[in-house]
Amino acid sequence: MSIHTLEVLVENEPGVLARVSGLFARRAYNIDTLVVGPTSNPEVSKMVIQVNLEGHSLEQVIAQLDKLISVISIEELVEGAKKPVKDTQPDYQN
Amino acid sequence: MATTHVPTANGTVMNGATSLVKSLEAAHVDVMFGLPGGAILPAYDPIFDSTIRHILVRHEQGAGHAATGYAQVTGRAGVCIATSGPGATNLVTPLMDAGMDSVPLVAITGQVPSAAIGTDAFQEADIRGITMPFTKHNFLVTKADDIPRAIAEAFHIATSGRPGPVLVDIAKDALQTQTTFNWPAKIELAGYNPKIVPDNQSISDAAALIAQSKKPVFYVGGGVIKANAHKELAQLVELLGAPVVTTLMARGAFPDSHPLHLGMPGMHGTVAAVTALQKADLLITLGARFDDRVTGKLSTFAVNAKVIHADIDPAEINKNKFADVPVIGDLRETITALIPALKSALAKNSQDLAPWNASMQKLKSTYPLGYTLPDDGSLSPQAVIERIGKISGTETIFTAGVGQHQMWASQFISYEHPRTWLNSGGAGTMGYGVPAAMGAKVGAPDSTVWAIDGDGCFQMTNQELVTCALNNIPIKVAIINNESLGMVRQWQTLFYEGRYSNTSLESKRVPNFPMLAEAMGCVGLSCERPEDLDATIEKAMSINDQPVVVDFRVHRDAMVWPMVAAGTSNDEIMIARATAPDWDSQEL
Ligand SMILES: Cc1ncc(C[n+]2csc(CCOP(=O)(O)OP(=O)(O)O)c2C)c(N)n1
Ligand SMILES: [Mg+2]
Repeated sequence: MSIHTLEVLVENEPGVLARVSGLFARRAYNIDTLVVGPTSNPEVSKMVIQVNLEGHSLEQVIAQLDKLISVISIEELVEGAKKPVKDTQPDYQN
Repeated sequence: MATTHVPTANGTVMNGATSLVKSLEAAHVDVMFGLPGGAILPAYDPIFDSTIRHILVRHEQGAGHAATGYAQVTGRAGVCIATSGPGATNLVTPLMDAGMDSVPLVAITGQVPSAAIGTDAFQEADIRGITMPFTKHNFLVTKADDIPRAIAEAFHIATSGRPGPVLVDIAKDALQTQTTFNWPAKIELAGYNPKIVPDNQSISDAAALIAQSKKPVFYVGGGVIKANAHKELAQLVELLGAPVVTTLMARGAFPDSHPLHLGMPGMHGTVAAVTALQKADLLITLGARFDDRVTGKLSTFAVNAKVIHADIDPAEINKNKFADVPVIGDLRETITALIPALKSALAKNSQDLAPWNASMQKLKSTYPLGYTLPDDGSLSPQAVIERIGKISGTETIFTAGVGQHQMWASQFISYEHPRTWLNSGGAGTMGYGVPAAMGAKVGAPDSTVWAIDGDGCFQMTNQELVTCALNNIPIKVAIINNESLGMVRQWQTLFYEGRYSNTSLESKRVPNFPMLAEAMGCVGLSCERPEDLDATIEKAMSINDQPVVVDFRVHRDAMVWPMVAAGTSNDEIMIARATAPDWDSQEL
């Protein structure tokens, strides 16, 4: 079992929760918990997602999430600290 | 961020429907395929006056595939438009198809009035929800003011980065409300910024790896065509002098006539192309995605190869196959950067590729694609397709349905140019051929366009021939009539002991295809004897003012070879039933 916590900033648009949860469902990624809340910017919401990888790679989960146009940024929460895994010019691929 | 040309209509008061049409004009749409209904009806009023050519289809699925055909030949976004509910759901298959094959498509659908959304109103369907899994993005617009921005973003998203389909669902009241037209001067999407220029480091790593390898092969996918990178690819191949394979989506990205071209890899690939990938020490993967139809059983695919994976979509990297050197960026940028980098890497260190090339050339000459003619003297489907290719020439655009005829059209027609081979690769959509040919002919009116279709596929979407006949879209359709769902029948022959459950179509009895064609305003021809083949094709070639349909009544039992059975290893490739290549005589 390999659980990772991702903090995902998304466009605050109707349907964004369906986009993210639908992605996890169709790619058979397990969500342990998912919390959505506001940020100081009313146009942006924050999702905190605990994903149980079970054979999937974290890199692939993040890359697929990042492909959603409504996803603005992704950070992995590691023991309370934040580790950015995506910015607008992703360079984690090298 | 992308900047756009701001049209003169900006600041003018109009209703949402007019704003939609002005937006499509601002996006340089010249043609769209669609069919009206209640929810989208307000838009059809300004469409009546627009400079945009609207082609009225007979089924919305036809509109979607036509938009795809148009996009595939022009490289521009294809546009289709439909009403809410069943009109929108009829677009589902082409949207999924376009998603699988990375086709830039913009679909506009009407939606019930915003106050009625969620009430199970007449013709209400949550098309945004339905299409979320396979569109690149989609929108639900409920306010007139939001229409121009949604359309501008839709075109930007569909055509940039890895292309894909985008749906814009617009509530009827948004079309009817007054608004001040406001086409955005620039598009900024916080969550979307595709990486175009590859990192220098990845380019030099790739060049160094190529220079070290003794058995490299170019594994070329449809991305090379999408990126218009075929000229750069040819230069790169000449520079290295290594063999090339082109996937089903990449046929035409590299000329079939080139000696280094080994053909198509995959389930029905050539022995040389499949073996080159299996035995390579390096895959130079350009815009391909390690689809299961190419890799066969993944754990046994190219086990000794290092992998360079160049793609614009970071999510393709390490999805199916680990990449030693990923290169993220537009392929034209990537290959352009790779050429000088490889030149200097080769100057420092280069390998003798001659033994590798010699063994691949030997495989290519020992196991060319071929077929045996039917014993009973009846028409061979492969011969029909081969002759159509030869007689109509390499400038012709071909589309195909899905099945045996599709594989033969990929195998036995020689493709020399990109955007001359259009098919449904990722989705395998029966019914793609005729409407895609219609869209292709609209996009390239001066080219001959042949749909190589199956008798099964043809019966799914042939009604668009009415559209073709009425709108002066003179495509040519070759029905490869083997009176069966041939590809499925082939699997029943091979894997179900010849138990032909529900694969016989009896289409040599019903329907009468030439009469059906004539009824739809086309010329209907038929051909049953090998001695009439060339004359029939020439007759079809001579008719350019009407669509032509030819019923080629071919032998039923022909099979597609070579074949790697689904789920097995590429090493198990068969060149005929129960016949493997003679590996012992090959030095690999
Ligand atoms: C919409 C759809 N339904 C079913 C299939 C499964 N299928 C794949 S090939 C094929 C047979 C196609 O028959 P035909 O058009 O006559 O082509 P042939 O194989 O005989 O050349 C079928 C049913 C499919 N690919 N698409
Ligand atoms: Mg058939």
